[in-house]
Amino acid sequence: MHPTRTFCEFSPTAILFILLLSCTASLGEETTGDVSNPGVESTAVDFAREVLPILSNKCFVCHGPDGEASDTLRLDTFDAATAEQDGHRAIDPSAPEKSELLVRVHSANDPMPPVDAEKQLTDAERDVLTRWVMQGGEYAMHWAFVVPVKQTHENLKDVHPRKVIDAFVGQQLRRANVDFAKEADRRTLARRAALVLTGLPPELDQLEAFVADDCDDAYERFVDQLLASPRFGEHQARYWLDAVRYGDTHGLHLDNRRGIYPYRDWVVHAFNQNLPLDQFITWQLAGDLLPDPTVEQLVATGFVRMNPSTAEGGAIPAEFQAKNNFDRVENFGTVFLGMSLTCARCHTHKYDPVPQVEYYRLMAFFNSTAESSLDGNKYDYAPVLTVPNHVDEWVAWSEVAAARDDLLNKAGDLLEQKTDLDAETRESWSKASHDERLRMIADESGPFAGHELQGLSAELSDRLAEFESGFTTTLVAAELPEPRETRMLERGEYDLPVGETLEPDVLAVLGGLSAETPRNRLGLAQWLTSRSNPLVSRVLVNRIWQRTFGHGLVRTPEEFGLQGEQPTHPQLLDWLAVELQDSGWDLKHMLREMVLSRTFRQSSAWRDGVNDPDNRLFARGPGHRLDAEVIRDIGLWSSGLLDPHMGGEGVKPYQPRGLWSALMHPASNTKQYVQDEGDRQYRRSLYVYWKRTSPHPMMTLFDAPSRESSCVRRSRTNTPLQSLGLLNENQRVEMARSLAARVLQAAENDSERLDQLYLLLTSRKPSDHERSVCLQLLQAQRDRYASAEEDAKALLSMGELPRDESLSPEEYAAWTQLTTAVLASDAVILLY
Amino acid sequence: MNDPIREYDLLMTRRQLFGRSALGLGTAAMASLLGGNAALGAPSDAASGVGGITTDGLHHPAKAKRVIYLFMSGGPSHHDLWDYKPKMRDMSGKDLPEHIRDGQRITGMTAGQKTLPVCPSKYSFTKHENNDQGVWVSELLPHTATVAKDLCVVHSTFTEAINHDPAITYIQTGSQIPGRPSLGAWLSYGLGSMNENLPNYVVMHAKTNFAEQSLFSRLWGTGFLPSDYQGILLRSLEDPVLYLSNPPGVSREARRSQLDALAALNAEQHERFGDPEILARIKQHEMAYRMQASVPELMDLSQESDETFELYGEDARQPGTFAACCLNARRLAERGVRNIQIFHRGWDAHGNLPKEHESQCKDIDQGCAALIKDLRRRGLLDETLVVWGGEFGRTAYCQGTLTPENYGRDHHPRCFTVWMAGGGVKPGITYGQTDDYGYNIADEHGEPLRPQPNKKDWTPGTMHIHDLNATILHLLGIDHKRLTYRYQGRDFRLTDVHGHVIHDLLV
Repeated sequence: MHPTRTFCEFSPTAILFILLLSCTASLGEETTGDVSNPGVESTAVDFAREVLPILSNKCFVCHGPDGEASDTLRLDTFDAATAEQDGHRAIDPSAPEKSELLVRVHSANDPMPPVDAEKQLTDAERDVLTRWVMQGGEYAMHWAFVVPVKQTHENLKDVHPRKVIDAFVGQQLRRANVDFAKEADRRTLARRAALVLTGLPPELDQLEAFVADDCDDAYERFVDQLLASPRFGEHQARYWLDAVRYGDTHGLHLDNRRGIYPYRDWVVHAFNQNLPLDQFITWQLAGDLLPDPTVEQLVATGFVRMNPSTAEGGAIPAEFQAKNNFDRVENFGTVFLGMSLTCARCHTHKYDPVPQVEYYRLMAFFNSTAESSLDGNKYDYAPVLTVPNHVDEWVAWSEVAAARDDLLNKAGDLLEQKTDLDAETRESWSKASHDERLRMIADESGPFAGHELQGLSAELSDRLAEFESGFTTTLVAAELPEPRETRMLERGEYDLPVGETLEPDVLAVLGGLSAETPRNRLGLAQWLTSRSNPLVSRVLVNRIWQRTFGHGLVRTPEEFGLQGEQPTHPQLLDWLAVELQDSGWDLKHMLREMVLSRTFRQSSAWRDGVNDPDNRLFARGPGHRLDAEVIRDIGLWSSGLLDPHMGGEGVKPYQPRGLWSALMHPASNTKQYVQDEGDRQYRRSLYVYWKRTSPHPMMTLFDAPSRESSCVRRSRTNTPLQSLGLLNENQRVEMARSLAARVLQAAENDSERLDQLYLLLTSRKPSDHERSVCLQLLQAQRDRYASAEEDAKALLSMGELPRDESLSPEEYAAWTQLTTAVLASDAVILLY
Repeated sequence: MNDPIREYDLLMTRRQLFGRSALGLGTAAMASLLGGNAALGAPSDAASGVGGITTDGLHHPAKAKRVIYLFMSGGPSHHDLWDYKPKMRDMSGKDLPEHIRDGQRITGMTAGQKTLPVCPSKYSFTKHENNDQGVWVSELLPHTATVAKDLCVVHSTFTEAINHDPAITYIQTGSQIPGRPSLGAWLSYGLGSMNENLPNYVVMHAKTNFAEQSLFSRLWGTGFLPSDYQGILLRSLEDPVLYLSNPPGVSREARRSQLDALAALNAEQHERFGDPEILARIKQHEMAYRMQASVPELMDLSQESDETFELYGEDARQPGTFAACCLNARRLAERGVRNIQIFHRGWDAHGNLPKEHESQCKDIDQGCAALIKDLRRRGLLDETLVVWGGEFGRTAYCQGTLTPENYGRDHHPRCFTVWMAGGGVKPGITYGQTDDYGYNIADEHGEPLRPQPNKKDWTPGTMHIHDLNATILHLLGIDHKRLTYRYQGRDFRLTDVHGHVIHDLLV
């Protein structure tokens, strides 16, 4: 290819594209369920989706927003690229073939990028740039910075969203010449939906009812049962806690205990209540700034306090004031904008249009919260809210507290009116706490003796005392009366502030704040959740899709900026993003429609003739190893050990000795791991105590993040150490023997017991091959333990639960060996 | 190294078990099972092509096949171990001159002190012959002094961080704020494994009498890299590798039959769904089984000679001591483990430095020297890089009360001593120097150099921690600028946008 090529040469191709498009469009008007062309397409080079990624990745390091010298050519705007410089224009719309950009990218002698640049252009990229410049070199905004709209065919205006999903997915399948995979069988589908929505296999009665249900809406009703389960919120919360880096410790240096689990419990509660996601966001960012905030709204602001913190001797407060804020701004970027802002901490972003000063304006939203910059190593690192330790009690407690306030107001008024009251009593009333005032009212020899308020006072005192016995504290956000000064920091150094005082403001490229929006965290939340914000709904819906289908529509959920991956299904992503808003930010609605789609219901078997290992077409159902927590929870649930209790201080199941003490400072209060006893061992993994500098090894072994920084996509690794954990860890063995006891007692013969085992773990009965493998293993283990009763008892002693004495140790041990293997098998630890 | 014959045998065993008609693994699956490529163990979502096995270096020929990093957590005092400053004796107790402090920020622990009295080391230093001008070593390290001819002693290492958590996170991950992969994780990612029966990246925690300061799993963690590049703890308590032992009452034969059944069940799952990860997992279960034999063999010191224990000291018979960790390190190196790190805590001597450092040095001195001698006599030193150092140095001035016999020192970022040996570094040299107060990096005339961690300019004679990491990667055949991983749209690397390989140190 040569830069002097003229535009005419492209025309035939362009015409062909237009012809093809019109053909497919006419096909699409047949039925609503099978629309070939649900969206709208164009033939010109798409700057945002084709050109900008190349410019960003290959050119912007030198010619981007952070062009260091003023005379450096910039290619990030049309004006700059078309300006005359040294007698040339990088892009010359009036004579495209003379554009310096084309000359240089095709030059053998003086090429761009330079020969020694780390990143070179491919031929295909050179081709895109050439066609773009020849077409006039027009610029457009990066796709993710443009407000999404629903671009759908007329016929898809009034159908279920699930149909729209299938139409968009189907469109690409057809282009690849494949059809949807056949639907997964009912049992597989039931297990898949239950694991995706609740993180647990389906309850057996629900499963069997669904399988036996011939009605058309059987699956829909099954899904609704799952959405209504309290297990739903627990499972969905986990992804959010990864993103916001929730931990039960401060995270730095001593890594002491931090009291913030009411926040975690609120997240579970909010998902179960299906709190609209715009409110979910607003409460977390700014619940304290809402009028008369409720307990829930205040607890939610724990989000603002989630940054790791320190009180290391010698730490300089100003340094950590800056570091804490960096962490919050960058977490905010990842969680809500799907963008790394880290670059702009030290210099204007190399790729995205984020000037350094805007980073610090954004930081100004967070710079005036009231906590000190060092945590004092305290559990109740102020400001904190004192609340009942169970989320279910918050409303009742709030009502009692409101009744108390009401009573005290009335009592105060009464005192005002009393003319015969001595000054001393008046004085002590004015200084008294709430509790003391209640006691004064109840006092038979006090100023209210004989008054009707006395009975109520005593009752409220009792009820409040009841609540208070179960109080805990949780970190919350509060604003300082006077804001801290925020200035830009040169190179991100806390001790190098430069320039003027900055007012809080948002990123200009994403649309500014309106004049009436308050310049505080509440205004920030309003901006995020407004319909003009191009990113938030896309970012959220992409993560919802990711946890349903195994991969996001954007495969880099942490990066929607110029350097992120393009969506595999751009119009579908935008459609879903708008649908999320249209539905009133309804999470359950979005999940429901996703799991009801044909796309989700496909078999997840890999297909002959479809060469798509990463499933970018979604030509098969989801399939991947389950997360650490789900693997553990399946074991607890199937063995009947799972304690359904929700919420409260993190639980500490078995953990090998010495893991914490080998790391921790002698003064740390998380130096000793004190294992819990009884039911707390068997709570859902969501509640496992999260020590950020040393999380539970069965979690990290299976890719759980440390929660020191945001994680919106876990890796899925496959290691020998996972095998050791699955087969040897205390709790795994304890689950296995409990499961063995359960199936031994559930049926009379091996065959029925195997049925029961597989029904619990895979929602189906075993295949003939599985049955024969299991029976063979069982026989080998029976032979082994027949002459080794002591070994059998030793195995059955692992874990704290006493062995079921009614079972023969040999048989019990043989079955335990079998259940251990089946629990570790891929039919159990994978989603498929 | 991987043994294809044994692999094949295992595969055949499984095939017989599966039965021909039922399953019969496909050709591709056979290839992946027989391939013995570490990439198989890599996750499906690894973003880049690195991760295979390399013995000749990823970007250029490697000088070292492996690294043993002896990490002294807390900040050892360069004043009392390596950086001999006789002129400080004349200034003892007098305030540190303002021009020497030169604007250095001071931690909150000594910022409130009325004076910053100069605190000379109470220990005597001897000049030991090396391959250059000789090297001064304190009396606290008599054994290490005997390998002076092997050491490349860098007096001009520096950092910006002044507190432990940020400083140790910085030197280990290239960033003061948590979230980035560790040096070891980068090495695992870049180099892959040479031994499939042992973890590729092994971390040990040595015992100390002063377990001050915390360590964090992020120091050997993977940050945003896939988590299988994380360091695996080799422990002296209970199972050396977590969950290594079978449950009580489960024999190795019983586990074998369990694994055979598991492989058959998983093969059926693969037959149904065709996901190649399932085959990879069958292989991981087999590796775990082999690891259950190879780790106890590794930890069994009964075949080590008395002479070896004389070399390492009797401490080496006690599991978990630094000497025992050094002996383990040599055994790991022999078995092809590429990435070994020993953390020894207790160097944070704000007060009672003499008592604490004497104990600390006694813990490590003989082990360090023995490791080098042992590697050398086995022909492994040339291909093994040994690194010794902490996260920062200690101040020239006293923290707390200064007496001739007792003193303490605060954290000091501007200079500290790190030594390296073997694996392509020049043996028997010193590099860089500090001023008369051991406070600033200086040129040969004692004038301060004031190096900055600036990516464009490197100040000869100095070694920022990014330079140290760049040099370590270089010796292992990796260009620190090219070992990258894209996360959040950016190609991250260990040395951020900094780091220079210090060629002056290389053979």
